[in-house]
Amino acid sequence: MITTTALTKSYKKVPVVRDVSLRCEPGTITGFLGANGAGKSTTLKMIVGLVRPDRGTATIDGRPFVELPNPTRVVGTLLDASAMHPGRSGRATLTIAARLAGVPTGRVEHLLDLVGITDAAEKRVGTYSLGMRQRLGIAQALIGEPAALILDEPANGLDPDGIAWMRTLLRDFADHGGTVVLSSHLLHEVQATADHLVVISNGAVVAAGRLDDLLASSTILVRSPDPVALAAALQAARIDYIAGPDDALTVDISSGRVTTEVVAGVARDHQVLLTELRRSETNGLEQLFFSLTAAKAAAPQEAAA
Amino acid sequence: MTIPLRTHAIEAAPSSTLGPIPFPRLVRVEWAKATDTRAARWLLALVALSTAGMMLAPILAPTSFDQTYTSYLGVAALALSILLPVVAILMFTGEWSQRSAFATFTQEPRRIRVVNAKLAASMVMGSGAALCGGVVTAAGLGLASASGRVLEANLTLGATTGYLLFVLLNVLAGVALGALLQSSATAIAASFALPAAFAGLGTASTLVADWIDMSTTWSWVLENEWGGHVPQISVSVLFWVAVPLAAGVVRTIRRDVT
Repeated sequence: MITTTALTKSYKKVPVVRDVSLRCEPGTITGFLGANGAGKSTTLKMIVGLVRPDRGTATIDGRPFVELPNPTRVVGTLLDASAMHPGRSGRATLTIAARLAGVPTGRVEHLLDLVGITDAAEKRVGTYSLGMRQRLGIAQALIGEPAALILDEPANGLDPDGIAWMRTLLRDFADHGGTVVLSSHLLHEVQATADHLVVISNGAVVAAGRLDDLLASSTILVRSPDPVALAAALQAARIDYIAGPDDALTVDISSGRVTTEVVAGVARDHQVLLTELRRSETNGLEQLFFSLTAAKAAAPQEAAA
Repeated sequence: MTIPLRTHAIEAAPSSTLGPIPFPRLVRVEWAKATDTRAARWLLALVALSTAGMMLAPILAPTSFDQTYTSYLGVAALALSILLPVVAILMFTGEWSQRSAFATFTQEPRRIRVVNAKLAASMVMGSGAALCGGVVTAAGLGLASASGRVLEANLTLGATTGYLLFVLLNVLAGVALGALLQSSATAIAASFALPAAFAGLGTASTLVADWIDMSTTWSWVLENEWGGHVPQISVSVLFWVAVPLAAGVVRTIRRDVT
């Protein structure tokens, strides 16, 4: 179980993470979704004590990470696959991690095999491609037989086969009762891997919950031959909407205040003809993501991807 | 996927059954990290080679050097004091410059324990280097006496202790700079520039020369001339080791790894 409570961090007075609260249960994969610079990495680093939060707390199994006696045995982390000593071989890198964790070095060979870099184990990490470093990083995260994994953009640099392999591995890990948190800026990656979703925009959580729930009931699509009149009617009724493609408008109904009936009533009251009114399709993660993070577009790009 | 990730189901809270990482294990791992890369091995080989090379000086120029055991040992000490601090610096700055701090501080988030382990490993390395310096000195003395020279066998326990302390102090100065500056290039440059700068200032001010300039104060340690110099030596150790190391520890503990 990984929880955070109101994690907040600013760099040089620019807020990077604001009041981020998460709750990741054993047996689930939580996808932490946000654009580059939204605050994903900083949040994950605060969970593992690499970055000190200005406010807020983070715990693993009820204890702050920095109080875990031997953290590698509890939670495996992969926060930056490029942050490995380039002069050390893959096997040496893993061996150091295994020795610190206090696991038999036989596990090194097992993991090299598992992530498929046995043939390159003697080569120096400096010669590895990003995909190979990601695989080595996964092995490093798994070295202490942890019950939880925290992975920052683990799919980066992996080829399609590698991404499919990673999904299977993480699914298997979660199905055995493990807790997984992974971040990504790629919608489809999260959609295919995670069962829970936390969307972060501009440093703040804008949506969180089960992936199915978020996709099923978050928006309705409404279309009129006269989209300008429809937009005016919705505005008059104080219903927020996003203008989508093909003159369709998307209305967020996650608050529960707005339903298809409400929208139909507004259209009737303003004598706007509707040609389409329905729940958005479940492939609407992209739409959801863009609508939830739309405010971000105008905001300046922030540091710390 | 055919290889099982785990052989048994993941159980809740295994952390309670595990103790902290034993300190000797941390030291062994830091020792391995300091010596297992090609760059580190080249540097250590260079330390040995430069010491051997400089040992030729008192052999080839007998009129410029006292032909005594301690004088030869002093040559080894000065040779070690050039590159050995660089090895110590890299032990600390490598975590930041090579970004291995990510792995190190997530495996042992109590960063003070990592710093202490590095300190211990650097002292082991310094002692080992001092021993190697002793072997090179013995070889040099052997060569000199084989050429028919008579050398004064004036090596005392005090002189040997002074030699070891001198080498360790130089390593500690590197440790302190590395821990404080956290950048390989900056710290290495500073380790050469700062002592030279204070030696230069020392020519203008006897206060700097007697209390801070390590080429003066630490040579008292090397030459076993403690009498009347303990306060000066202490102040220079505070200046070059204790204060920057303390500041470096605070900075290492507080720094965000990004």
